[in-house]
Amino acid sequence: MISRRKALRAGAGLAALATVGAPSILHAQTKTLKITTWGGKWGEVMKATVLPAFEKEFKCTVSADQAFPFLPKLQVSSKNDPIYDVLHANSNEQWNAVVEGLVMDKITAKEVPNIADVYPYAVSDKIVGVTIFTSAIGLGYRTDKGLTKPTSWKDLADPKLAGSRGGYLIPVNSLGQAHLMMLGKVYGKGLTDLDAAYKALEALKPIKLVDFTGQMEKMLLSGEVSMGVIHDSGVYRYEGPNMQPVDFASPSEGVLALEQVLNVTPGSKVKELAFGYIDYMLRPDVQKLLAEAVWYSPANKKVKLAAKYDAKLLTTPEKVAALIQPDWKWYNARREDIDARVTKILKG
Amino acid sequence: MTSAAIKLDQVTKTFDGRVMAVDAVTLDIAAGEFFSLLGPSGCGKTTSLRMIAGFEHPDSGRVHVGGKDITDLPVHRRDMGMVFQSYALFPHRTVAENVAFGLRMREVPKPEIERRVAAALAQVALTGFETRKPGQLSGGQQQRVALARALVVEPPVLLCDEPLGALDRKLRQQMQFELKELQKRLGVTLVFVTHDQEEALAMSDRIAVMNGGKVEQVGTPTEIYERPRTRFVADFIGEINILDEGGQLRALRPEKIRLVAAEGARLSGTVETSNYLGGSTLLRVQPTTGPSMLVRETHAGARASRAPGDLVGLTWNDSDAVALES
Amino acid sequence: MSATPNRRPFDAGRAAYLTLNALLLAFLLLPIAIVLVFALNPTPYISFPPVGVSLRWFEKFFGSAEFMNALWLSLWVASVVLVLSIVIGAACALALSRGNLPGRAALTAFFMSPLMVPAILTGLALFQAYLLSGIGRPVWGLIAAHTLVAVPYVIRTTLAVLHNFDRRIEEAAAVLGASPVRVFFEVTLPLIRPGVFAGGVFAFIVSFDQFPVSLFLVVPKGETLPVVLFNYMKFDLDGAIAAASMVSILLALSVVLVLERLIGLKAYVKL
Repeated sequence: MISRRKALRAGAGLAALATVGAPSILHAQTKTLKITTWGGKWGEVMKATVLPAFEKEFKCTVSADQAFPFLPKLQVSSKNDPIYDVLHANSNEQWNAVVEGLVMDKITAKEVPNIADVYPYAVSDKIVGVTIFTSAIGLGYRTDKGLTKPTSWKDLADPKLAGSRGGYLIPVNSLGQAHLMMLGKVYGKGLTDLDAAYKALEALKPIKLVDFTGQMEKMLLSGEVSMGVIHDSGVYRYEGPNMQPVDFASPSEGVLALEQVLNVTPGSKVKELAFGYIDYMLRPDVQKLLAEAVWYSPANKKVKLAAKYDAKLLTTPEKVAALIQPDWKWYNARREDIDARVTKILKG
Repeated sequence: MTSAAIKLDQVTKTFDGRVMAVDAVTLDIAAGEFFSLLGPSGCGKTTSLRMIAGFEHPDSGRVHVGGKDITDLPVHRRDMGMVFQSYALFPHRTVAENVAFGLRMREVPKPEIERRVAAALAQVALTGFETRKPGQLSGGQQQRVALARALVVEPPVLLCDEPLGALDRKLRQQMQFELKELQKRLGVTLVFVTHDQEEALAMSDRIAVMNGGKVEQVGTPTEIYERPRTRFVADFIGEINILDEGGQLRALRPEKIRLVAAEGARLSGTVETSNYLGGSTLLRVQPTTGPSMLVRETHAGARASRAPGDLVGLTWNDSDAVALES
Repeated sequence: MSATPNRRPFDAGRAAYLTLNALLLAFLLLPIAIVLVFALNPTPYISFPPVGVSLRWFEKFFGSAEFMNALWLSLWVASVVLVLSIVIGAACALALSRGNLPGRAALTAFFMSPLMVPAILTGLALFQAYLLSGIGRPVWGLIAAHTLVAVPYVIRTTLAVLHNFDRRIEEAAAVLGASPVRVFFEVTLPLIRPGVFAGGVFAFIVSFDQFPVSLFLVVPKGETLPVVLFNYMKFDLDGAIAAASMVSILLALSVVLVLERLIGLKAYVKL
């Protein structure tokens, strides 16, 4: 039986739905900014604090899409009336988008004043749009399995780890793609040395493969893998009384950058507001709030994090120097060949 | 109960524009008559019945019931009863609801419906089965429900499409008696479609034998049996010997032939086979010339006197050899 | 010779049949069992053997406004889809089986075609069509999309019933004085209802579990449960997903049970 209370709640739900259908009519006077954003803890903080404050300050409504896949939706919608004004994506996706003309090539401090305060990597030539946060991709490992803390990417190839090392389905996960390039650098002539990378990948078998980073996190937590490729946030965010014996290691060859990039669609009807949103996201207080919620390293140099975050995240020019940014434009152009090749290598 | 005469006037029906299902059929069925349409499958008997019911519209010709032309009247306004071979009971309704259906459609007041349903069920000896569903009844019981459902509305005409076809032999015979008795009691005009000649002979006041969409002969059972007009009718009903006397075909029933001494008989020959049938024995006799003859020897008590190989003589009255139309 | 009871000979076929059935059952039920273990396990990852029993993931699921909104939206959409698809599906099936329509086979194939096209393409195509025609993505657009993929199920099950339908039953009603409209409501509809409702159950579940078609058609704050779960999974792969799955399974089951109570589903499980 559905209780009266539940029935009432359903009724309220219906009323809410009716408004969902026609937001533009209801809020005809106020501008609407259509953005994409992540879910999870990030999404909670965005919806609970960041976006309401933004809406209040900029007197607008924000429609935040948390439902993947963002890029196909943007592709299908009209370029003159895009479904999003601001695209939040990882760097590799932004490169896919810019090739199709779906996002802007360059954003400068002219449009977004806070760009003046970001680390160089945030607007480097490896980035389209603006990086607001980055994570470091390194090695996560169990501290209870008698392993010494890895110091090199090569440590993942340790024969002892056969079957208990973790990686990604490279065609669907950008951490896997970045790791492949890193293999080229560590075992060959550089990030673009694919032959060396393929050889090194072959040597990592047997390896447990997942498609989401979340799955890698769970495999480390449950001890299903002893060492795996992961971003620092995916380890640090589980800190607390129930912390499992898992730690993050930054290999000496450098960590890979996993950037959170914002960009504006060229056809946006509310460009001012879109730039304003990016600028807002780069404000030190907003950066601090989000960085400490999900353990992302802020792009703004002026952010002062609490000591425990400051100790682990990339918050100084020296620490930032360890970041290696892959050339996604180069990678995306070869993607089909790479996908075919790695699928063959990792099969079985 | 009222009853109505039915008249089919030059009624023709084709299917898919090609197959001539019913070909210029004219029939006069009297009020209160038990009238059978008899013939092999595909002879047009069921199509004729369905035109009376209104399920098929004739291409040409008219249908009259009770003196009124009903050719263009839709089925549900024809006020007839019908019993189907598959019974066609409403499986989702109880026995009582099935029987009440026609009364409900006629907007009969509820107390009267209850009274008449009870009476109709009593008439077919199904009192006490009111709340059962058709699926819980035997074939014979379902047949009775179908009958009660058709008769409860007191239709002037009852149409039956091979209603006993699905019953076993014993039950079928019993139902033949019951149906006939019921029809006489109610005085309803009953049109009965069957391919079973025995059934038609046993029950009907008159029979129309149909073949290839045409009526071959209409007559009482005795006329049809004793005086078949065409070779088809003679062949279709019972066993028959066809004699060819100088181009004139004559039909002679096996029981009209008497066994006599071989010398001086009309025909003499040898008994080929002897089929013991209980009340009679059917002999196949091969005369010295001509086709073999069927002879029925009836015996009140004694067994058949002839065995295969016996030489026998055959004789009959000229009047029993019926001349057939060519 | 003394009479010894005959020993039943070993029947390899029967043994294989029983084994196959047991395997199939395990194949179907084991994942549900694992989901249940995951849902009741207090750790945010699958640990085996389970370290305890806790309802924290159910609390998280029912306590989350996002999940609850999505759940109610999914239930509401699925209910509307149920009603729409039985009306449309039954009408289509009747027209296909009774209508003497020219090109009936082609029409049947056409009505079934949403089942042949990958659902993700249906969703993408509708998304594009909605955007191009300026409709946007209202909730009725989502309902229309779900109905599109749900209707073939109702057509299929209804056609199956109509195929075995003895039309003499309708004729009997007509002779007894029922007009065509009354024949439909008194006889035809009650008799095809089992097939229609069986299709309706499919339609409800197809909509309630619909992911690929919904993927492009949901709007921010108007996301159905499967879409919310998918996105949740990318960031927080914890027991709330398993709890949500258990709730979904139980809801689908209760819909089937309620329909079975109301209309006696048993009668037409033989499709």
